Amino acid sequence: MLFEARNLCVGYGGAPAISDVSLDVGEGEIVSVIGPNGAGKSTLINAIAGLLDWQEGTIHLAGIDLKSVPPHLVCAQGIALVPEGRRLFPGMSVEENLDIGCYRPEARSRRAESLERAYTLFPVLRERRGQLAGTLSGGQQQMVAIARALMAQPRLLLLDEPSLGLAPAIVADMFRVIRVIQEEGVAILLVEQNVGQAMEIADRAYVLEEGKIVASGLPQVLLAQSRIREAYLGL
Amino acid sequence: MSAVRLPVKLGLGLLAAILIAVPATNVPAYYVAFLYLVFFWIAMATSWNILSGFAGYWSFGHAAFFGTGVYTSATLATKFGVPFLLTLPIAALLAAALGAAVGFVVFRIQRLRGELFALMTISVTFVVATIISNTPIDGGSGVYLISVALPEIFGSQNATIYLLGLFMAAAALALAYWVYHSRMGRGLFAIHDDEDVAEVKGVPTFRYKLAAFALSSGIAGAVGGVYSIYVSYVTVGETFEITVIMYPVVMSIFGGSRHWLGPALGAVIVTIALYGFAAGPQAILVRGGVAFGLIVIVLLLPTGVMPSLQRCWARLFPSLAPGRALPEPRAAEPRVPHAASVTALAPLLECRDVWKGFGGVQALKGVTLDVRQGEILGLVGPNGSGKSTLINVITGHFKLDDGAVVFDGTPIGALPAHRIAQLGIARSYQIPRPFNHLTVLDNVALAAVFGGGSSEAAARREASYWLGYTGLGGRAFHLPEQINLHERKFLELARALAARPRILLLDEVLSGLNNTEIDEAMKLILDIRARGTTIIFVEHLMRAVNKLSDRVAVLNGGALIALGTPDETMNDQEVVKVYLGKAHAV
Amino acid sequence: MPSLSLIEQSVITGLLTGGLYGLLALGLSMSWGLLRLVNLGHFAIALLGAYLTWFMGTQLGIPPWWAGLIIVAAFFIYGIALHWVFMRFAVTEMASMLITFALAVIIEATLQFIWTADFRRYETAWGSQSWVVGSLYFPKLNLIAFLVAALLAGGTWAWLRYTYVGRAMRACAEDAPIATAFGINHRRLSFMFSGLCAAYAGVAGVFIALVATLAPSQIWAWVGVVFAVVIIGRLGNPIGALAGGILIGVCEALTMAVVNPSWASLVSFSVLIALLLFRPRWV
Repeated sequence: MLFEARNLCVGYGGAPAISDVSLDVGEGEIVSVIGPNGAGKSTLINAIAGLLDWQEGTIHLAGIDLKSVPPHLVCAQGIALVPEGRRLFPGMSVEENLDIGCYRPEARSRRAESLERAYTLFPVLRERRGQLAGTLSGGQQQMVAIARALMAQPRLLLLDEPSLGLAPAIVADMFRVIRVIQEEGVAILLVEQNVGQAMEIADRAYVLEEGKIVASGLPQVLLAQSRIREAYLGL
Repeated sequence: MSAVRLPVKLGLGLLAAILIAVPATNVPAYYVAFLYLVFFWIAMATSWNILSGFAGYWSFGHAAFFGTGVYTSATLATKFGVPFLLTLPIAALLAAALGAAVGFVVFRIQRLRGELFALMTISVTFVVATIISNTPIDGGSGVYLISVALPEIFGSQNATIYLLGLFMAAAALALAYWVYHSRMGRGLFAIHDDEDVAEVKGVPTFRYKLAAFALSSGIAGAVGGVYSIYVSYVTVGETFEITVIMYPVVMSIFGGSRHWLGPALGAVIVTIALYGFAAGPQAILVRGGVAFGLIVIVLLLPTGVMPSLQRCWARLFPSLAPGRALPEPRAAEPRVPHAASVTALAPLLECRDVWKGFGGVQALKGVTLDVRQGEILGLVGPNGSGKSTLINVITGHFKLDDGAVVFDGTPIGALPAHRIAQLGIARSYQIPRPFNHLTVLDNVALAAVFGGGSSEAAARREASYWLGYTGLGGRAFHLPEQINLHERKFLELARALAARPRILLLDEVLSGLNNTEIDEAMKLILDIRARGTTIIFVEHLMRAVNKLSDRVAVLNGGALIALGTPDETMNDQEVVKVYLGKAHAV
Repeated sequence: MPSLSLIEQSVITGLLTGGLYGLLALGLSMSWGLLRLVNLGHFAIALLGAYLTWFMGTQLGIPPWWAGLIIVAAFFIYGIALHWVFMRFAVTEMASMLITFALAVIIEATLQFIWTADFRRYETAWGSQSWVVGSLYFPKLNLIAFLVAALLAGGTWAWLRYTYVGRAMRACAEDAPIATAFGINHRRLSFMFSGLCAAYAGVAGVFIALVATLAPSQIWAWVGVVFAVVIIGRLGNPIGALAGGILIGVCEALTMAVVNPSWASLVSFSVLIALLLFRPRWV
């Protein structure tokens, strides 16, 4: 197992946002975590990426315990984040944003190669490499966010609600690219509100509701059950 | 109460008598002058604090208004022969007018808070100084007031000046005391903690800030007038010196800027430190020492000395300390007797084709919906669909770009948020935004006063009732930071309810609660509606939405895509597609 | 109406003075824009640097170029120490303004105590010399100050643009948590950057000593000008700081020539007020 989280508990004072969450991601797998809004999906991703402190539980990446790793060194372990809402650096150009992605020393030496790969995956960005990130459209920004994370040469890519605010056609394109990234050997943990795409692409899936994992397994099996419909539509 | 106040009143009276008598005694002139300086700084610091300490708008430009007063008196007395005592109210008025003018322009601009307001006030000071220096008002040579006549009290002009100084200090303290205990003072403290929330709760923020600024400036102007004859030779350099800008800030922060008496305390201590020690080159070091003291205070004791003093006072004189007993709650009559069924009257609230955008993003695209009297309307939609924006537009925090919002027949789109609150629309915040320096009780009482129109006296009883209703009775005298998240969410609810709104907008009031708490909250919401309040509630927890709502409105990408009963909307093809993707839409 | 040559000369003088303004504004613009701290003590530090340069030059016989090196190194350490205090006490933007304001007062008091309020002038060989082109005079030291300002502004801009560390600094200013997620050590960077901004003040101080008359009260004379320059040039923009300085410098010089010297200080404050009112987004 490349990535293991066990009994994870993250709170903000008051009721914990997620409690007793355990999940795995294997080498080269795409694992989706779906659930309605407020279920705790972003909290989960942010805790793994080192943006949030977590209170209980363990996280291991390739056997290394991430509890004692300071936030700015999490990336060096091989995790890269595509944050919710993109969170690009708006005053910097596309290429500058990508350069921040390969800030860590091991990634820096492979910059030329990473950049070429990014522009091949997202040809639109090559034309707009000098454009300010804040002036791009939503779909283009999402591409930059994904490319920026890839520049870090990660073993595990964290995707936090990539389809948020994007038109369906763009979402479809984006998921095609995610499939290509998986083929290049990167494991992916995808957190999504959009059930359709998330389940279509996943090798395995978890359903998160009110901070707890309520179901897990193969996507087709989960879809056939009414659990998801209940969680989302309350019916 | 008056029996308890008597010793305090007697003590004050005695102090006043002693101080007034000083110049009539043989006390050396040096000490009389020193006392004058103490009064001077008490007045300056106390007046500065009325806006800056109470409302949190730190002004670095008190000197501008002081200087206006100085030169008004100097010019009127010397060039126009106006009797000196008459120049004082004119100086006060001119300074207040300048303060009001600056405030009128500056307070409209939302971004000019904090450091930018400080910068703005420094700039105004330098501009005023330059204008005075380059025009015949001063012209660079200064103004001599030696020959200006002044009535002699106790047989000397110096005594008159001393008494004028004492009068200014007393007046400043009286005004600060009055503001502190008034409705306006309550509003200013709310502005300090969270101006946007204060506005939405019904505090007329612009008007209050303007009034506080004008009052503060006016006092400084009067003090300046007296100062002009004290020094008898005024120059631009000395009038607009950095000390005049800095000392009120230091003294207020040192003494405690959240209390009306704090600045006076700080003024006494700092003045003794400054002038009590040697003059000459050492004096400069003392100035540096005062500045160093400011650093220490800001870092280690940000609330100043006053709170510790208050604690000592409370321990020494427990009978004088404010009571900690919860006021007798007044029973709240339901607004409309048991309006349990949704009637088919004209809608209470209508949004007609509402558009709102930020930069290039359209957050609301032509949203049209109506809310019926007495109904619970669920407002749902994925992240970024515009739910929060819609709430902010309805409550007046954002102005709509196009379209109209009509409340009970009145268009409210152009009204300031505090007016809308007073008309009967209240909201709770998803992430609680209480006034952190006010107790739980005062948080709720404020909403009762400004949103609900209660009197000060009735407000506390009203607040006590709503705290009981939401289960927070035992927390009435705690500060928001001392209660947990669940309690803070209920504080939000109590605060919104205390305004006795006709429409209550709840923003994700259930998030972060556990199952038991959620069930409690849901029961509460139904009860609130039963008492006659119409409710719009934004929620992600679908089971709650389905159970509570009479109708549900679904937003996606800024547009309304469905409006109907929970059953209708949750089975609507469009809605299912939006939430679950194409695969599920069958 | 003053003669054309007077106006031309005013523009030149204003340009060179503007360079000095830009030099002074550089450190403030960087720290305010990228560290989100308002350093009202910036001018005081610069003036301290000026006094130290003068003192070392006239009393200890150390030429300005060496004095400058010592001062820059010392101020770099001061900048780090100041930032440490801010971090240790989790100081807000407003509190940083109050604290640095107090520091300015302390420094002014110290300067006045040690060297009195008398005006001081650092007389050097080049101090009264100018290069002459046609009928225009370019005072040597002012020109050098201008060139150093241009160099530093350009260099800083290039550093922020083209180096990993510079870009990391910009990223931190825009979104520190995400920058951290990509491996940037925000804390360490901000310390170093604070030191850099203080070092800039030191460089400005050296040239103030060479070019201007020193008095402790000068600290407050520069406040309005430099704040106006920083805001015109947009926070965090080194080239903007220089351009803003030149703009204000030229406007002031022309005001002095055409209207009256004593109205010159009104220019910068009026510009500042206008900007705050009509373009608050620039800050």
